[in-house]
Amino acid sequence: MPAPSHRRRFAAGLALALAVSVGGSALLLRAARSQLGEEAEVRRGIVSLLALGELAARAGGKGEPLRQAVAGWQAAQAPGVTARVVLFQGVSLEASTAPQDAGDRAAPRRLAREEKAAYDRAQRLRGAVQGNREGGASKAELEIERLPGGGRSLAAPLFLEGQVAGMIEVATPAPAPPAPPGPWAALLAFALPLLAFLPLAGALGERRPLLAAAAAALLAAGSVGHGWGALGDLGGARRQAHAEVGAHAQGQGAAAARFLAAAGLAAEPPLRPGAWDADLQRAPRAFLTESGAPDGARVEADVASARGDARGTLLAAFVVGLGALALVGLGGLARAGRALVVHRQAYAYVAPAIAGTLILVFFPFLYGIALSFTDQNIYNTSTPLSELWVGLRNYSTILGDFGLARRAADGTLAWNYLNFYWTFLFTVIWTATNVACGVSFGLLLALALDTKHLALRPVYRVLLIVPWAMPNYITALIWKGMFHRQFGVVNQALAIFGVEPISWFDSPLTSFLTAFATNAWLSFPFMMVVSLGALQSIPADIYEAARVDGASRWQQFRAITLPSLKPALIPAVILSVVWTFNMFNIIYLVTAGAPNGATEILVTQAYKFAFERYRYGYAAAYATIIFGILLVYGTIQNRVTRATEAL
Amino acid sequence: MARSRREEHLPHGLLHAFLLATVAVTLYPVLWVVTIALSGRQSLALADLPADPGTFDRLRAILPWPSRWSWDNFRAVLSDQPFATWLLNSALVAIATTVVGVALSCTAAYAFSRFKFPGRRAGMMSFLVSQMFPGTLTLIPLYIIIVQWLGLGSTRLGLIIVYATTSIPFSVWMLKGYFDTIPRELEEAAIMEGAGPGVIFWRIVLPLAKPAIAITALFSFMTAWNEFIQAATFMDKEEMYTAPVGLRFFVGGFQQQWGYFAAGSIIVSIPVVALFFYLQKYLVSGLTAGSVKG
Repeated sequence: MPAPSHRRRFAAGLALALAVSVGGSALLLRAARSQLGEEAEVRRGIVSLLALGELAARAGGKGEPLRQAVAGWQAAQAPGVTARVVLFQGVSLEASTAPQDAGDRAAPRRLAREEKAAYDRAQRLRGAVQGNREGGASKAELEIERLPGGGRSLAAPLFLEGQVAGMIEVATPAPAPPAPPGPWAALLAFALPLLAFLPLAGALGERRPLLAAAAAALLAAGSVGHGWGALGDLGGARRQAHAEVGAHAQGQGAAAARFLAAAGLAAEPPLRPGAWDADLQRAPRAFLTESGAPDGARVEADVASARGDARGTLLAAFVVGLGALALVGLGGLARAGRALVVHRQAYAYVAPAIAGTLILVFFPFLYGIALSFTDQNIYNTSTPLSELWVGLRNYSTILGDFGLARRAADGTLAWNYLNFYWTFLFTVIWTATNVACGVSFGLLLALALDTKHLALRPVYRVLLIVPWAMPNYITALIWKGMFHRQFGVVNQALAIFGVEPISWFDSPLTSFLTAFATNAWLSFPFMMVVSLGALQSIPADIYEAARVDGASRWQQFRAITLPSLKPALIPAVILSVVWTFNMFNIIYLVTAGAPNGATEILVTQAYKFAFERYRYGYAAAYATIIFGILLVYGTIQNRVTRATEAL
Repeated sequence: MARSRREEHLPHGLLHAFLLATVAVTLYPVLWVVTIALSGRQSLALADLPADPGTFDRLRAILPWPSRWSWDNFRAVLSDQPFATWLLNSALVAIATTVVGVALSCTAAYAFSRFKFPGRRAGMMSFLVSQMFPGTLTLIPLYIIIVQWLGLGSTRLGLIIVYATTSIPFSVWMLKGYFDTIPRELEEAAIMEGAGPGVIFWRIVLPLAKPAIAITALFSFMTAWNEFIQAATFMDKEEMYTAPVGLRFFVGGFQQQWGYFAAGSIIVSIPVVALFFYLQKYLVSGLTAGSVKG
């Protein structure tokens, strides 16, 4: 097969890369502009809404004065903008300029049964205001809904003497769609570099490095050129949006002031049109001064931050484009395509498994690592990770905190059980004691069961592996019950010997003992079965020979039994170290960390940080550290086993 | 030559005493659960103590023998409590997990065993490495993916997807090891007869690998049947609990329904204990051949 020319490949690669980079950024910017337009639309709506709220409150909030205020407000609105005012008192529609409330349905009147949604909405807003006053989670005090025709319905609570007396609804018509930015800039940024590349490639010939450099440079030129223009465009659009909202607020303010003067209502305190540009909590967005003029410094800061965000997106699009260029230009895609065709059957067989594990095993792992560099928690899960980035802070907080204990007020030492090093130390102790106990006890039982001609041997063996067969969460809950202070059988049994009931979970040592007993009960059968298998594979004549040579039983054990057990026991010990280190169920269900987290092991602590304290980023960093520890352990263990095998 | 009758061993009596004591300790918790389940009461205590208990009363209180036999707990847990629903959830999830997981693993393991293709080594190695990922680290992102992105919180499908995919790497390694031992000559002979790769896989390899597939399937089933943390994290609605989460519900927090817990435990344990004894001869080799599992 003749190799396709490098020139052609790079030309194709450049075309693809430009399409990705320029096209992608054009689409993203287009989306950003239309979002900006909607945002400005909503802000203008909120300004009108709050202007009406202010007028209605000053007009006394009911009766004819209110209707006059609404009429006065209506005069200053764009065509299609209408308002309704609903009062709790009498469940009445107190004023309305909406077309459906004409004729015999004209305000004032009681709300009809089918208008219950409006009443519910008012109730919701009142609930939100009261909840926020009591210091609960901040709920939205404004509601914005899309109407079927493309317009919006905005609602705000109506305040009278500090109380929510009803609701103001403003309906805005569907805005004229903003003129999309012309495609010419993007097309130009796509075509020019490509046109420039063709003669350039002719001049450079079939030299790969030069072709690659030229293509990359042209890609950069196209992307930067397009991005430059697009960023300027976006900044201008943003400035314009702020200016439009400001002009609208000033217009509404002036109209409101005129109405107040004409109706002889109180003009004090002065109106603050700038504050009408508010967010959903009715807090001013602060892009406008009180009079409603755009606040230059804040607007520029906002434009700069928006441009910063957009620049990141453009950069990402450029990097993806560069990747595409490299993939196509250097022949990676062609090679991958050929491999895919040649081995299509093999890939078809592995594809589902690989896809599944990529999505639900590897992606979560990488996502978890990314999470560990953020301070994500339950309150900001909808914020993108890039905005929560804290770098290595979680790691330095976890690993840099050596405050294991502090002096309490009365001078006694108080352990800080949440400290990483305490938990780590506890985990090491937990693992070491459990594995040591499991190995020695399992080996002891295996030796006992290995006795020749012992009656009932198979029966013992089957009965002794029952703990391994039981699901371990059940085992854990059983033992927790047996250690119950008042009714648990352990305390009942101790009472026979006159021991006072012990509160097992009140001190770290006894609490540890409960988990230890559970895990010991659970884990010895594994070691026993492994050892027994190994013991039975030792040929009997070795012992015969040793006896003939006059070796004592202890010497036989040291010289024959232990060395023959080693190949089976070492992997079993390694495995059981990892199991015990990660023995989530026992700790979580038996001690649950009692008292005060003293008996948490690393994995349960990480779980609690995530699902009881809801500090997702911190917990992810914690779990990543656990992974690091296991990785180090795995590497060391690998070296050691290899070294022992070499002996 | 007659075997030496004077093999120096500990006296059998002593050994029996030691083994019997160990068996007693080993079985006590199990008998305790059985007793509570059959006592017909919800109490943790095996017997009510009089106001001034003597030694005999105290002995009575730790003896795993109910003062009254009754099947009430079993009956109540299956009919009055949502436990039957939970069992059904567990069974459906475990069976679906097994079918999906084994199907995906079989094809992948076969390709890894028989075909040479770019990325083969990388694929196997990445499966091995994935066994070291700590569960708590992947739990948060899995929660985000399953519950927040896919909206599969409190659904069986969500659990099935998670269990089936996380079981794939281990199953693939197990099955590939077995496929490697099936002689290639059989397949070559089939190719001579004109059989296509699909026919070879379905008609020749899979039937030959039945024992390995059975073991892998049983492992997958037992893992899904016993899994507790992920189920507790993803299943918020009470009627969607699996049996492990449900059992904890009986005795966790403010509930103290030990009778239901004990009866439920026995119902849940019987299938796994039976499977376990059926499988035990494969367990040791299967597990120690695996690697660091975190």
